[in-house]
Amino acid sequence: MQAGLSTKNAPSPSVVLPHFVFAALMFLSAAVVLLVAAPQMVLPYHLNPHMLTLTHLMVLGFITTIIFGSLYQLIPVVMEVKLYSELMAKITFWFFGLGLLILVYHFWEAGFGPKQNWLWFEISGTLILTAVILFAINTLKSAFRSDRMDMGNIFVVTGIVYLVLTVSLAILMIINFAHPYIHVSVLDLLKMHLTLGLTGWFLFLVIGVSSKLMPMFLIIHKLPDYLLKYAYFLLNTGIIALATIYYFYPKPWAIMVASLLILVGIFMFLKFNYYAFKHRFRKNLDTGMKLSKAAFLILGFTVVLGVVSVISPDFLSAYQLHIDIAFIMSIIFGFLTALILGQTYKTLPFIVWLQKYSSKVGKQKIPLPQEIYSDRIAKWHMKTYYIAFGFLIVGELASQIWLIRSAAAMFIITAVLYNYNVFKIVFHKEKIIENE
Amino acid sequence: MSNIHNLTEKEKEIALILKTVIDPEVALNIFDLGLIYEIHYNEEEKSIKVVMTLSTRGCPLGDTIMQNVEVVLEANYPGHKIDIELVWEPVWSPEMLTEEGRQAIEGL
Repeated sequence: MQAGLSTKNAPSPSVVLPHFVFAALMFLSAAVVLLVAAPQMVLPYHLNPHMLTLTHLMVLGFITTIIFGSLYQLIPVVMEVKLYSELMAKITFWFFGLGLLILVYHFWEAGFGPKQNWLWFEISGTLILTAVILFAINTLKSAFRSDRMDMGNIFVVTGIVYLVLTVSLAILMIINFAHPYIHVSVLDLLKMHLTLGLTGWFLFLVIGVSSKLMPMFLIIHKLPDYLLKYAYFLLNTGIIALATIYYFYPKPWAIMVASLLILVGIFMFLKFNYYAFKHRFRKNLDTGMKLSKAAFLILGFTVVLGVVSVISPDFLSAYQLHIDIAFIMSIIFGFLTALILGQTYKTLPFIVWLQKYSSKVGKQKIPLPQEIYSDRIAKWHMKTYYIAFGFLIVGELASQIWLIRSAAAMFIITAVLYNYNVFKIVFHKEKIIENE
Repeated sequence: MSNIHNLTEKEKEIALILKTVIDPEVALNIFDLGLIYEIHYNEEEKSIKVVMTLSTRGCPLGDTIMQNVEVVLEANYPGHKIDIELVWEPVWSPEMLTEEGRQAIEGL
C-alpha cells in the first residue's frame, strides 16, 4: 500500500452496517413515541418519563449509534490506522443496544415515585457505560497509533472523552437515586449531563468529522482552520466551566459567562462552515449536502434559542420552560437529526459500494454509489423532515399538542422513508450494468 | 516524463483512456478533476507510468480509483508494464481542475 492510501484500513462492513440499521429503527421508534407522548412534551417539568424515553431513543439509539458506526469506518480511513479491535466493536454494539432497549423501556414504565425500583436502570446503565468504555478504548487506541493528529482528529478524541464523562455522570445519577450518597440537586446534575453530552460529545464529534469531510464533499481546500482552534479552546473552557459551575457555584452570572463562551465557540464553527459553503467549488448540492447545510442553518437558529434560554428576559418568563425544551429539541431533532439524515447518504452508500464493487471497478460497468438508493425518496423525506421540525418547534413554543402530534406524524413519514433507503442500501444486491 | 500540459500523441491517447475513470463521489473523471500529474509512455520498454494524486489524503475511495486506473490501462495496453505512483506533492487544489472539469463541477 502506498503512503496515505488508507481504504484497506477500513473495517469489515459487518462492524459498521448493523449500527446504521439499528439507528434507523430507533429513529422510527422515537417518532412513534413522540406521537404517543405529545401531551407530555408541554408539561411544566423536564423530568417526565416519556420525555426521557424520547430523548434517550434519539440521542443514544439514533444519533450515538450512527456516530459509533461512522467512527469505526472513519477513524481508520482518515487517521490511516487499522481499527484496534473489530471484535470489541461488535461486543460494544450488543452491550449498547441491549442496554439502551432496557433503559428506554424502563423510562417509559417509570413513575419516579418513592417506590421506584432502580435495579433495571442500574443494569441498563452499566451495560451502556461498559459499551461506551469499550468504544473509547477501541477508538482511542486506534487514534493514538496514528501520526496524523490534526485539529479535526483532536476534536474527535476530545469528544470521545466527553462521552465517557457524560455516561459516567448518568450512572452516578442512577446510583445516587437508588442509594443516595451525595446531596445535590438532580436538576443541576441533569444540566451537567446535558452540557457534557450535547455540547461535549456531539458538538466535538460533529466539528471533528465535518472538518474532515467538508473538503471532500464540497471540493474546497485551505479552510480557515484557525477558527477551529478558537472554537476548541472556547468550547472546552465553556463546557468545563459550565459543568463545574452547576455543581459548585450555580450563580446566574457565572452560568451566563460560561454559556457565552460556548455560544462564541459555536459561532466560530458556524463561521468555518459558512466559509466552506461560500467558497466551495461544487456549487450544486446533492440531497445529502442540502440536509447538511440545513443542519448548520438550524444550528444558527438553535444558538439564538440558546441565547434567549440563557438570558431568560423577564417578558418571556412565562415561556421559559417551553423555550428551554424547544432549545434541546432544536439540537436533537434539528441540528443533529438533519446532519445525520444528510450524512447517511454521504457515507453509507460508499461503505456498501466499496464492499460490493471495489473488486469490479474498471472491469465491469457498475452503478455509482449514488445509484444504490432512491434519491427521490431522500428528497421526499427531506421535505417531510423540514415540516416536522417546524411543527415541533412552533408546537413546543406555543404549547400546542396538536402541532406536536402533527410533527410526530411527519417524523414518522420521514423515518419510514429514511428506513426504506437505509435498508435498500444495506441489503443492496450486486448489479452489473449490461452494455447496450 | 511528460507533465500533463506537454504530452506526446501516445500519452494524449492514454489521457483519453484515463478519462473513463470516474471519481465515484464527485461523478467526474479523474483527468478533468486534475488528479493526473504526469503520464509517461516508453515504447521500447513497453511501459506506462502515471503519476497521480487524490483530492484529499485519506480519501475513502483512494485505492478503488487507483485500481480502476490500473485495470483500464492493462485492458487497453496488454503486455505493458503499468506503474502508478501516488504522490501528495504538489497538494491537489481546485485550481488543478481542467476547464471541462470546472464546468462540470460548477454545473453538477
